[in-house]
Amino acid sequence: MTRLRTFAPVLLVGIFLILLVFPALQHSQYYQHIMVMTLMSAVMASSWNILGGYTGYTSLGHAAFFGLGAYLVAWTHNHYGWHPFISTWFLGLVVTAVALVMGWISLRTQGSAFVVVTIAVVFIFRLLTLNLGSITNGAKGMTQPRPGWGGVPWSPVMIKIPFYYIMLFLLVLTIFVSWRIRQSKFGMGLVAIREDEGKAESVGIDTMMYKVLAFGISAYFIAVAGGIYSYFFTYIDPGFVFDIFVSVTMVLMAILGGRGTLWGPVLGAFIMQPLSNWVVAEFGGTQIHLSVFGGILLFVMLFMPQGILPTVSEYVKKRVMARRAATAG
Amino acid sequence: MTIPSLHLFVQTLILGVLVGGVYALMSSGLTLIFGVMRVINVAHGAFLVLGAYLTYVLFQNLKIDPLVSILITMPLFFGLGWVLQRYMLSRIESPEQTSVLVTFALALVMEGLLGAFFQTTVRSVKPSYATEALVFLTYRFPVTRLMGFGVALLIMLLLYLILQYSQVGRAIRATIQDPRAAQLVGINVTIVSAFTFALGVSTAAAGGSLLSMIYSFNPSSQADWIARTLSIIVLGGMGSLPGALVAALILGVMEQLTAIVITLYWSPIVFYFFLFFTLIVRPQGLLGEIIREKG
Repeated sequence: MTRLRTFAPVLLVGIFLILLVFPALQHSQYYQHIMVMTLMSAVMASSWNILGGYTGYTSLGHAAFFGLGAYLVAWTHNHYGWHPFISTWFLGLVVTAVALVMGWISLRTQGSAFVVVTIAVVFIFRLLTLNLGSITNGAKGMTQPRPGWGGVPWSPVMIKIPFYYIMLFLLVLTIFVSWRIRQSKFGMGLVAIREDEGKAESVGIDTMMYKVLAFGISAYFIAVAGGIYSYFFTYIDPGFVFDIFVSVTMVLMAILGGRGTLWGPVLGAFIMQPLSNWVVAEFGGTQIHLSVFGGILLFVMLFMPQGILPTVSEYVKKRVMARRAATAG
Repeated sequence: MTIPSLHLFVQTLILGVLVGGVYALMSSGLTLIFGVMRVINVAHGAFLVLGAYLTYVLFQNLKIDPLVSILITMPLFFGLGWVLQRYMLSRIESPEQTSVLVTFALALVMEGLLGAFFQTTVRSVKPSYATEALVFLTYRFPVTRLMGFGVALLIMLLLYLILQYSQVGRAIRATIQDPRAAQLVGINVTIVSAFTFALGVSTAAAGGSLLSMIYSFNPSSQADWIARTLSIIVLGGMGSLPGALVAALILGVMEQLTAIVITLYWSPIVFYFFLFFTLIVRPQGLLGEIIREKG
């Protein structure tokens, strides 16, 4: 156990250092692209976890904030020339304000009713974006100029690299905030809500306030990621970003790695995103990747509902205990 | 916005009611399953679309009329539902949110498989009478919708008779009212759950056959259909069959009205708004009791 305690931070620092120099090691655009997407997924799963993991409220609505971030960034870029790498941080706050209202409304429900309301949130935003064509360009979607800085486009060889580092920075920030929340009194309150909301309330926690705040915070990083994503692809359309599948992806990643843990969602993203890219590359135009995702989700929910990290750590703990018992006897 | 003439208004009401009857059948299984098992079967939309595809295949290859194919699809789906409940859903330890995710995963699996087999091309089943309509007092009654309405009522009547007069029906109703007391008087909840789920899924088969000749569909239509049916059972009160019937008629009419007053594109949003606001303002729905929450 002590060996594991000293080993874990060394491992994390090692992985971080590798991530820091990854674009220098791997020049392939394809792998750099997958890494940008993986970092983004890790951001989204970790951010979702602040609500879904700590409070236990399973939201399938967070794709709405992803899409909102993407559309706001694309729109302000096209109309006012705001650079996405800067604007996304502020526009994320606007999305958070929307999310606070959405959270305040939808968190009146509990259990499965909450899941259903959040599904409706995604579809409402999707239909609004589709139908308000004069602002959003409807189903045709929105394009942005080729990525660059100060009117000079980045060279096609290097184009993934700025996105890689901004996503890496966003991921570090997300994990840091998630960690600080988990350590704080606020975070304890969130976990108390997950364990027993009634009791949490009776010891004086303003559960509604806590839940709404967690909802808003968890929307922020997802919205920022959405803003960067829209610039990364330079094209978005309603069906692409306001997609319930985007929500399911982050939920699956968080649950697979271990919902409610700090590193579980990151682990889940680093497993699922490359796998998903591989499936799409292998089976191309078909919809079979939906089945693969659904199948994995089914498997995890039925056989490993705790997720990888808690299952593994429980196993390790048991073995250590057994060894101790053996030596003591 | 256009204000419709009286004639158009009445015509819209007629279409709304006809389509509402079909919606009622489609949602009956969903609300029944929730009533007994407290499980929101998010895969219901996918079952509907699967039923539509099965009808499509039977029609294209064997020239079987969509209404006749109900006799084939319903027993098949009954078996499918039974197996899924006994060997998968019953394994879940804590239902509520977990069951939503599990059934959602099931919906994704089905959507992906349908996409792999049938591509994303939009399909529909067009029997010879597809474009015919009866005219009564200058109002049009499209034949497919009229037949869909009739068949939906017939199957719901059957469902009502099963629930009201059969042994297993009584057990189902007892379980809806009070699961623990039902168990105490010797009702086998395992069997009742499996039977209810199977029954619910088999109504989706019939609903899917009707869907296939009234609407066009592709694998991703399942999302629209789960939204519609969920809105209906939420508005009607989850677990309440009469509630689902009333709500289906209301939403059917509302949808048609939105289509002519604003545009066709805005009509799907009616469902989401109803869903959203019912849950917030009156979570127990129009006719339902308050959703029991555990833990």
